[in-house]
Amino acid sequence: MGAPVTVTSPDAAGPVQEVAEEETPAVTRPGRFRPSPLGWVPRLVVWAVIAWVVLIVPLGHSAIDLQDFTRAVCYAIVALSLNVLLGYVGQISLGHAAFVGIGAFMSAYMVTTQGQSFWIGVLAAGAIGGAQALVLGGVSLRIRGLYFALVTLSYGLVAEENIFQIESFTGGGAGQQAPKPQWFESEWRYYYLCLGFLAIVLLLDWRLMRSKGGRALLALRENPRVASTFGINVRIATLFAFVVSGVIAGLAGALIAHNDLGVSATTWNFNLSLVFVIMTVVGGLRSRYGLVIGGAFFALMPYFLEKIPGLDNALAKIPAPFDLTPELAPLVVGPLLLLLNLIQFPGGIGQQLRPIARWLGGHRFDLHDRGLKEVQITDVRA
Amino acid sequence: MELLRARRGLLIGLVVLIALVVVLFATGEEQALVIGTISGSAYGLVAVGLVLVYKSSGVFNFAQGEFGGVALATLYLLDANDVPYALAVVGALVAAVVAGFLTERIVVRPLFESPRVTLLVATAGVALLAIAIQVWFFDSQGRPIAKAFTRTDRFSVLDVQLSDQRIWLIVTLLVLAAVLGLFFTRTNLGLAVIGASQEPTATELVGISVRRLSTFTWSLAALLGGLAAVIAVPDTGSFTPGVMTSNYLIPAFTAAVLGGMTSLPGAVVGGVLVGIVQSYATSASIFQDGGALDVPGTPGTLIVFVVLVGVLVVRPQGLLGKTA
Repeated sequence: MGAPVTVTSPDAAGPVQEVAEEETPAVTRPGRFRPSPLGWVPRLVVWAVIAWVVLIVPLGHSAIDLQDFTRAVCYAIVALSLNVLLGYVGQISLGHAAFVGIGAFMSAYMVTTQGQSFWIGVLAAGAIGGAQALVLGGVSLRIRGLYFALVTLSYGLVAEENIFQIESFTGGGAGQQAPKPQWFESEWRYYYLCLGFLAIVLLLDWRLMRSKGGRALLALRENPRVASTFGINVRIATLFAFVVSGVIAGLAGALIAHNDLGVSATTWNFNLSLVFVIMTVVGGLRSRYGLVIGGAFFALMPYFLEKIPGLDNALAKIPAPFDLTPELAPLVVGPLLLLLNLIQFPGGIGQQLRPIARWLGGHRFDLHDRGLKEVQITDVRA
Repeated sequence: MELLRARRGLLIGLVVLIALVVVLFATGEEQALVIGTISGSAYGLVAVGLVLVYKSSGVFNFAQGEFGGVALATLYLLDANDVPYALAVVGALVAAVVAGFLTERIVVRPLFESPRVTLLVATAGVALLAIAIQVWFFDSQGRPIAKAFTRTDRFSVLDVQLSDQRIWLIVTLLVLAAVLGLFFTRTNLGLAVIGASQEPTATELVGISVRRLSTFTWSLAALLGGLAAVIAVPDTGSFTPGVMTSNYLIPAFTAAVLGGMTSLPGAVVGGVLVGIVQSYATSASIFQDGGALDVPGTPGTLIVFVVLVGVLVVRPQGLLGKTA
């Protein structure tokens, strides 16, 4: 009873451990792969190429092209916003053009009519995006799944036909002007500003998902009933996600407004809401790089179509009274990609690029690493 | 208990209708009753197609409006090429059925086992594709489209002219509602459709092909959408790509929700109610500029939204539906 308990000191195994480390220096923990210094070189080269394409290549283009690139960045932010709702919580918003559009108008209104600075405008846009989400979500707390989609669609129509007609706010048919901020007046500076905002949103998204709240959202998506047994308040969590989504959407709207130097009501319609949903799903739910690429791709589709030589001639051969204009292209190509995505490639672009993304992050290149097998939007007994 | 619940929904519906009529007459807007019934018939027709698809596949068919859009485009094309109107209508309905068939085969079949919201997004994609193709071929201007019946002075109720076209619409709705009601309760095929929606495995076990039933249901729903478009839109005189989705789909969904997503007669009743309420909102003076409840833009859209959210919050199963 009084005998002292001998505790074997971990250093007892010391000599053996040290020998093992000397023999295989690259592996400090068994099972975890770290690339060798030689392995890092190709990875860093690809990173450098990506950085060059994103940061340097756009500078060689005209101001109008730069506007397109900035719009691509803003669409990427919209995709990230919609992903919070669609990918993390599993609720669908078919009226997201309303959130982005009202954010755009708010920022334009603040800067032009109220004489505030760009930063206040952006702040106000994010605030009103979150406020809308709060009100809409608060009213529809009990409404889930299919019916929630219906409510958001109807709300999108209300925004189109009622809210955007408030003359004092939106300037009626003429729209509102939205000049660029003070030190970012040239197109390329504004492009970098928007890239900065994208980086902030990506960071926030990453931090959110690593927190307890983020895990609660994912649990909520998998099975709301089981999640509630773990003490997650389903309604509050859904509302929280909705508000976050709304704030980011409003922010994106503000950036788009100042990029186009003006906002008009006709841009923010039902078709655009659907394009937003399509680009989020095609980009790949819950895959940050996929979403950015998806959003950028859809925004740049008219731009790419213009640049491909001979496409105009090929399209003109199709017997139709009007040409497939570049503006119309996303509306035609989008649904086709969506159907392909839903039927064949549930994880979207993100899923296809996952082996490369994992490789860039310092893992082995595994062609068959596709992450989750199927992307469920949500399963609802509606 | 079931009977009491059904009766309760009916009772609420009756009370609402009576209240509406009283308010309309009191405020001098009784014309909204007639105009609302006309537009509501169109909503009801589309809503019946929505309920049909929901009853059989459990999915909200966002392409329902554009099935009608395809019919409209075909009608316009055929009519512009001097095809006799009756043949043009038939051709338009055939086009709608083909669209529904293709949608079911290409989109719905592969996603049979998927969550219903995935299918919703897919049908929304189909709708967008249809709108885009229409804009490509017709550009976004409105085009005039001829009516089937041009006589307008046969009837007039409460000072609102009931043109032959409008009478055709209301009669079609009533006839179809009755026929479908009988179809689902009395015929083998109808019962098979209901059975397939409730218990697909058991239905297959008794030798009924669930897949063929699904194709049939979607084609039928597309036919209904086509009918609604072909009768209702020429009455307005012109057709714009996407008109079915922007003007008819949301009120139709609201009508279906109001009537209860599982009830066919509910869809009809819901359609008429939504039509009347929307018509009242559009013409009542308190909603116009300078009125007490001045609503910017079209008050009709806002009121439909309010009705939708109201029904979903207060009584999600609608008037005649089973408990949600």
